[in-house]
Amino acid sequence: MDKDNKTDKELVDKRGIISKALSDYNIENESLGEDHIGIENISVEPQNLYEAISKLKDLGFNYLQCQGGYDEGPGKSLVSFYHLITVGDVQEIAKIKEVRVKVFLKRDSDLSLPSLYSLFRGSDWQERETYDMFGINFKDHPCPKRLLMPEDWRGWPLRKDYIQPDFYEMQDAY
Amino acid sequence: MNNSLSPKAIREIREGTCNPLGAPQVTTDLSENIILTSLDDLHNWARLSSLWPLLYGTACCFIEFAALIGSRFDFDRFGLVPRSSPRQADLLIVAGTVTMKMAPALVRLYEQMPEPKYVIAMGACTITGGMFSSDSTTAVRGVDKLIPVDLYLPGCPPRPEAIFDAVIKLRKKVSNESVLERTKSEQTHRYFTIEHNMNLVFSENNGEYLNKKASNTLDVSRNQEIKEDLEQIDKSILIESEEN
Repeated sequence: MDKDNKTDKELVDKRGIISKALSDYNIENESLGEDHIGIENISVEPQNLYEAISKLKDLGFNYLQCQGGYDEGPGKSLVSFYHLITVGDVQEIAKIKEVRVKVFLKRDSDLSLPSLYSLFRGSDWQERETYDMFGINFKDHPCPKRLLMPEDWRGWPLRKDYIQPDFYEMQDAY
Repeated sequence: MNNSLSPKAIREIREGTCNPLGAPQVTTDLSENIILTSLDDLHNWARLSSLWPLLYGTACCFIEFAALIGSRFDFDRFGLVPRSSPRQADLLIVAGTVTMKMAPALVRLYEQMPEPKYVIAMGACTITGGMFSSDSTTAVRGVDKLIPVDLYLPGCPPRPEAIFDAVIKLRKKVSNESVLERTKSEQTHRYFTIEHNMNLVFSENNGEYLNKKASNTLDVSRNQEIKEDLEQIDKSILIESEEN
């Protein structure tokens, strides 16, 4: 149904409005289309992340609703996502309210991202949790420590290729 | 002797069943005024009537345990007085999931409690790991791997009445103890009771990790650039809105 409503131009260029807006400011990005409820997904390279998010913040996405990570599968990329929404009376962008930015990191790369702490204070613990569970490093984070696991824990528990150590305490009870 | 009879009734029965000389005065006085017991029983009675639990809760089980403190269930009538310091407690009710991160704290709390001390493993999580036993990366599968447990209290979480049941059973256990036999029930090192192959592993945490500093960040000069950009955009937006 959505496709019928779109104009020919939009069918040719399937990029979303926000993706295009970022491109207008010379920020490289790749549109990932819309998800099932029509929220635009954008992918950016790690080196463009800080610029892209600060630009989006400037465009009215003034609230980082969620930052998190996930693992696409063994051997595949680790992803850090940022869900930005608009809070308040930003009239200019009344039509578009949400956007999701994803950064795909190759497993064998150094897994480094700029921290968004200087833009959104709320990203503090969320980035720590992503570091804790996936081993994604957030540069310039004020306190880049594990959040949930013990500080001397080895490995990243929520990666798909994580193998749980057979500790005595964690062996099955009989 | 039947406890339900009053002393007066007992006296009357004695007089009615005795010979015409009357009830023996000396033995009656003795049995009415002197309690004969062993030191063990007295000691146990004192201890089981004042089991002071440590306020320890890590999950939903403690919600049920906290209900006991209130007037509806009122565990003070069992002599349970909640203590916030392990030095004053002699009962540890492990209420809630214990994770690998919490385990050292739990063992330390247990070790800080004075002897004799008792442990009730409350809820499925503390007995086997409960619903976390399938694939959790952190849940300890049963606190009996960390500390000796006197009583297992199943449930998820157990009702307050079940906790009373556990306390009553623990009181029975306490009442059967003897000071002379105490050494036989002392804590043994549980780790060596099950065969396993443990390798000596040194921690990689040398403190360097805490001093971790950012290295691959945007330059300050570039930050200025971005700020100027943003200011320009601000201005353009202002102009646009003014035009509108």
